[in-house]
Amino acid sequence: MNYRVLPAAPSRRTFLRSAAAGSVLFPGIVQQLLADGGDPLAPREPHFPAKARNVIFLFMTGGVSHVDTFDPKPELTKQHGAEIKADHPEIKNRPGYERIFLKRPQWEFKPHGQCGTEVSTLFPHVAERVDDIALIRSMHTSHSNHYNATLGMHTGSFAFSRPSIGSWVTYGLGTLNRNLPGFVVIAPAQTYAGTQVYANDFLPGAYQGTLVVPGAEPIANVRPRVPTDRQQLELAALQELNTEHLAARSNDPQLAARLRTFETAFGMQMAVPDAFDFTKETAATLESYGLSLDQKSGFGWQCLAARRLIERGVRFVELIDVGSSNNWDAHGDMMTHVPLAKNVDQPIAALIQDLKLRGMFDETLIVWTTEFGRTPFNNTADAKGREHHPWAFSSWLAGAGVKRGYVHGTTDEIGLRAADNPVHVRDFHATILRLMGFDHERLTYRHAGLDYRLTGVEGAKVVKEILA
Amino acid sequence: MNNVRSGIAVALFCCLLCSSFAAAEDRVAVSPISDEDRTFFEKEVRPLLVKRCFECHGGTKAHGGLSLASASGWAKGGESGPAIIPGKPDESRLIDAVNYRSLEMPPADKGGKLPAEEIALLTKWVAMGAPDPRDGSDVLGGMTREEARSWWAFQPIPPTPATDIATDAKQIDELVLREIRRQVLNVTPAADRRTLLRRLAYDLTGLPPTPEEVEAFVADQSPGAWSLVIDRLLGSPQYGVQWGRHWLDVVRYADTAGENSDRPLPHAWRYRNWVLDSFNRDLPFDQFVRMQLAGDLLTQERSGPERAEGIVATGYLAIARRFGHDIDKDMYLTHEDVIDNLGKNFLGLTLGCARCHEHKYDPVSAEDYYALYGIFESTKFAFPGCEPKGQPRDLVPLISQAEVDAIMKPWQEKQERLKLALQRRAEVAKQVFTPEAVQATRLIEKADVKEGASVELMPTTVAVHKGELVLLTVEPGGNHGADSTLCALTLRELGGQQRQWSTGDLLDNLTESNPRTVHDAAWCFVELTKDGPVFLGEKADAIDGKSALKRWSFADTPSVFVNTSDEPVMVWTLLAARSFFVHPGQNRPVAVAWVSPVDGKIAIEGRVADAHPAGLDGVAFRLEHVARPEAGAALLEAGRILSEPMPSLEAEPKIPVAYAVVDQQAKNAKFQERGDPEKPGREVSRRWLSVFGGTEVPQDAGSGRRELGDWIARHPLAARVIVNRIWGWHFGRGIVRSSNDFGARGEGPTHPELLDFLTSRFVQSGYSIKALHRLILHTETYQRASAAVLSSDPDNRWLSHYSRRRLSAEELRDSLLFASGQLDLTAGEGHPFPEEKTWTFSQHAPFNAIYPTNRRSTFLMVQRQRRHPYLALFDGADPNASTPARQSTIVPTQALYFINDPFFHAQATGLAGSLLMDASDEARVQSVYRTLFQREPSRTERERVRRFLDSYPGDLTEKWSAWTRVLLASNEFLFVE
Repeated sequence: MNYRVLPAAPSRRTFLRSAAAGSVLFPGIVQQLLADGGDPLAPREPHFPAKARNVIFLFMTGGVSHVDTFDPKPELTKQHGAEIKADHPEIKNRPGYERIFLKRPQWEFKPHGQCGTEVSTLFPHVAERVDDIALIRSMHTSHSNHYNATLGMHTGSFAFSRPSIGSWVTYGLGTLNRNLPGFVVIAPAQTYAGTQVYANDFLPGAYQGTLVVPGAEPIANVRPRVPTDRQQLELAALQELNTEHLAARSNDPQLAARLRTFETAFGMQMAVPDAFDFTKETAATLESYGLSLDQKSGFGWQCLAARRLIERGVRFVELIDVGSSNNWDAHGDMMTHVPLAKNVDQPIAALIQDLKLRGMFDETLIVWTTEFGRTPFNNTADAKGREHHPWAFSSWLAGAGVKRGYVHGTTDEIGLRAADNPVHVRDFHATILRLMGFDHERLTYRHAGLDYRLTGVEGAKVVKEILA
Repeated sequence: MNNVRSGIAVALFCCLLCSSFAAAEDRVAVSPISDEDRTFFEKEVRPLLVKRCFECHGGTKAHGGLSLASASGWAKGGESGPAIIPGKPDESRLIDAVNYRSLEMPPADKGGKLPAEEIALLTKWVAMGAPDPRDGSDVLGGMTREEARSWWAFQPIPPTPATDIATDAKQIDELVLREIRRQVLNVTPAADRRTLLRRLAYDLTGLPPTPEEVEAFVADQSPGAWSLVIDRLLGSPQYGVQWGRHWLDVVRYADTAGENSDRPLPHAWRYRNWVLDSFNRDLPFDQFVRMQLAGDLLTQERSGPERAEGIVATGYLAIARRFGHDIDKDMYLTHEDVIDNLGKNFLGLTLGCARCHEHKYDPVSAEDYYALYGIFESTKFAFPGCEPKGQPRDLVPLISQAEVDAIMKPWQEKQERLKLALQRRAEVAKQVFTPEAVQATRLIEKADVKEGASVELMPTTVAVHKGELVLLTVEPGGNHGADSTLCALTLRELGGQQRQWSTGDLLDNLTESNPRTVHDAAWCFVELTKDGPVFLGEKADAIDGKSALKRWSFADTPSVFVNTSDEPVMVWTLLAARSFFVHPGQNRPVAVAWVSPVDGKIAIEGRVADAHPAGLDGVAFRLEHVARPEAGAALLEAGRILSEPMPSLEAEPKIPVAYAVVDQQAKNAKFQERGDPEKPGREVSRRWLSVFGGTEVPQDAGSGRRELGDWIARHPLAARVIVNRIWGWHFGRGIVRSSNDFGARGEGPTHPELLDFLTSRFVQSGYSIKALHRLILHTETYQRASAAVLSSDPDNRWLSHYSRRRLSAEELRDSLLFASGQLDLTAGEGHPFPEEKTWTFSQHAPFNAIYPTNRRSTFLMVQRQRRHPYLALFDGADPNASTPARQSTIVPTQALYFINDPFFHAQATGLAGSLLMDASDEARVQSVYRTLFQREPSRTERERVRRFLDSYPGDLTEKWSAWTRVLLASNEFLFVE
């Protein structure tokens, strides 16, 4: 594992020493406090040996058009304007949508890399990295509403709230750095379905996603409200009180556990800002992500932050590009894909390259997805936008344990339906869990008398072809 | 603890192939079998099948499609054909598989290959022709009917002879001690009185006792002291806030609907408060159940508050979660949410599992599910609004239609009158400057008045007729908004009576009327809008408290005003003595109109001056003659009508409504294949669960909610479930730990006799929850000291001590507010949601708000889609699913709250502030330990505080704020012993 204890500001141990100075801390208790026993976040081994130890989950909000990005459809261009029939959920009983016509893609596709995978001009930088990617062109999902499809992509459930995939992975693997949360979500705004997309739901609270909002205080309450020297006096006194209290209560583990959380929290006050402090990054690195020195937001910032969090032992980092409005939901005009793609394209390519340079690409799974695709048709061929399309979309995986320069599955010639090797969201989840070393049927949690799992009950299969 | 469970144990909440609900149809005629064969099967074969095979192939579970739960099951077989060919073991796949030939059954992770004698037994049975009396009719959901009949939780409550509370408490202790002895554990002694009172106060009210209450209780050594303090706390309205909150957890109460835009539920609070109130007045639990399911039907014959209460109580059903973009399309999911919740809630049964197929573990069929479904399909749920369907509807009025009419009719009539009056005004205003009048208007003079300048009118003579108008209109110059303008206008009759009129005449008694008649001429003060003249209708006899100034206005700004004094008066500018002013606004020129009483010539002179030189654009004026005699009459008529008092504009009266349900056309539901509403099957009559008799809803009984309430309330299972909850909320763990699941997948009771004893007492008491509290609180078991976790009993199943517990999210927040003296103990009502008519929530921009309050945390606004960050941090209830017991996690982000959260800091500072009112540090230390820890500080502790205060920089407030932070962050504060 690549996790290194970075020389951060006062660590937990130095805090303990400072807390112990002049107090009645018994050496035995110090030892106990330094040990991690019965800890829900302690690192654990999965079912199978796995290369991937961390996940960076890139979620594009609103529904990225597959036929304009990763799924070239020359036939769609040829048949532009042809009327088709489809029993499509988005046009059923919708006035004005009695007739539908094919609409050609608006961006050109070209083969890239050794593998020759075709990618559109919307993603020029990611295109250069296709040799590192396993692209799935046959994704499909169970709902055509943003809310439900977004919930489904995150929790496997399209209606009810359930634990997020990040919570499941953290539950399965624990985390490696107790000075940082195990599951971090960096989002400038909430996506559809709100906090449910990163909620632990019935899993223990230790597995909930911690929200990072780019800005001055990225994690709630992480900024000291009194100067550090004063805070240390307070924490030392608290430690003394709690230690005495604990000693009189036979070292009750729940009380001891709470003592430890203050040391961790103290450390987080340094570790969190440190993780988001890019001043020690080289100019070349910043430039590769398209970042200026004082930039504190944007997808480039999110991507570099993700690398730094993973580097520090955070298990699962999700990056959400934009919120539930002004996103990829291009009903009105496909050209709105241009700035959104530009926001993410270079940073994603830089992230892959950066992880490779640091030897972290072999331990990190990168997931790129959206909630659904966009219709290859509209109610007139000249309509500028495209509608929601659950029948087909593109997602990709890259990094640890993933085949490189590979394309899995196809859609039909007009990109309407997943054709060869369709991959449902549940299969996608099963595959991600498999890459993390889990049998998705065995990563379960007993709740209300039932054993729940991410992939639910309808059945899911691992996309084995994609495993390296 | 190994969190990653590796058991494959078929333990999924639905099955994969869902083929099993057809089981009832699959019954086959079984040839009669001999008694001898039957005995052999029952004694040898059935137990073996149950033990070795049923985990995957029993009940309705059918891995690979194979069920061994009936003869037809194995005859039909699984995906690979029949499992048994009677009389032919060699051709039977079952025998093949147990011998590990083709298949290997049971697989290694299910216990592995059977012992040779069991294989021999099965082989013998098949060779005998596989006699099997099970025709499939003995299976109900996941149990045989026999198993269901004898299921422990469904049994009648054994009656127990009545005694007194002390004897009962001893009996409970004895039942607990019996298990403790069996487990060879030691009990802790009784907790000390301070600890006990803190425990009790938090337990019953969620708040700590005050120092005075602690001292009084410690001092009261009388035998009745404990009972007294219990009664005092049970009588506090804060009891309902705490225990009502427990119930709200179970019913997944929330203040938003949960659909894609998460709309606010502005009326849901009535149900919330009804729950709190029901606990406070100890509404018998059976009635509590009936009211929530059918309060509207039960109070149909009543009126006033009783009727309202019945309606509000059904908020339980209405608050069910809504789904999707268009809620109406996904009501089948809401019905599932209702059935799932009422099953878990009242019956400890996971009924929701039977939506797509027979229950896999409990005796509930999919038909049972649709029997209940029909009841809710016959019920109209209040609609919270959603993105494609707009605003709420079907909210239920809490008063009768007659009362609604009594409130609404007068208002509607007033509205009507207002509308007519407005119409009339608009019409008369248009009559003044008719096209003919405009045609007849002659400009006499117009000019700009530069900033601070004064313009003399050119003396002029005009021939006028009676009723014609002379009009002086002033408007702001340039783009400026408004300016005070002095106007002096004199009109002299040439010949005739030689009368003279002047704005000077208007100085005294300006506000007498508008129009104002002086020497037969009417003066009108109007604003000229594009819709015609608007008479200035609002008057005041002072401006800015200066009584020399009088004014007419249309809104706030004076439009026409005078200085009646002989001295200049200073307001926003210095107003000249004895002068007349107008104050035009942007797009609101002010006009002074003179209606001629003269047929003849008049001479006009005067001046217009910018009276407020503020460096702006000055004003402009226009002097006009409207040479149309009808204009004056029309203007005066308009003035008359416009000066009639307007019916006042009143806000629409708010009819009190509830987010509740009512009956609609009763009809049976159609069975849904695999839970898919688009695949309707046969009709299922509305009825009670078949395992409990399956009584049908009578004809003409409406939806059947009233009957359902009765069936549930009368069933011993419901009493057991609530008794277990109450016990669990006192001890942190129920006698049945899975308090939402009393079925086969739940955990059995640790103390079955105790649960029955308590339930029997509960029923005898008339379902009194407070009586149950008293009983439990009087036991020694409740009053034991706490202890560290025992390795031999880490969950404290056997209750050898009191389980130390962390304060819940609400208790912690309320305690912080209590410590700072900021806690508001009054009951909250509705939340400050935006007005319903302004709602435009969508899935792109869903409702999202946090409303701060110093009220108890039970009154915090709880959202479904976005969790309240504080409640999420400290394991608040799940607003989307029933929370039978709170988690009690301890995570570093909570510690960050105690270090840096602004709310936490504010409460600590508040506490420090009140301590500083004490005279000395000595007194402060004592006071703060008493307030937070209910005890005196020790000498060491006093010294520790002194050392801390000495070493901590800053002033006294900073020092004490720091120390209160330390105490409020301590384990002693956060944990209840």
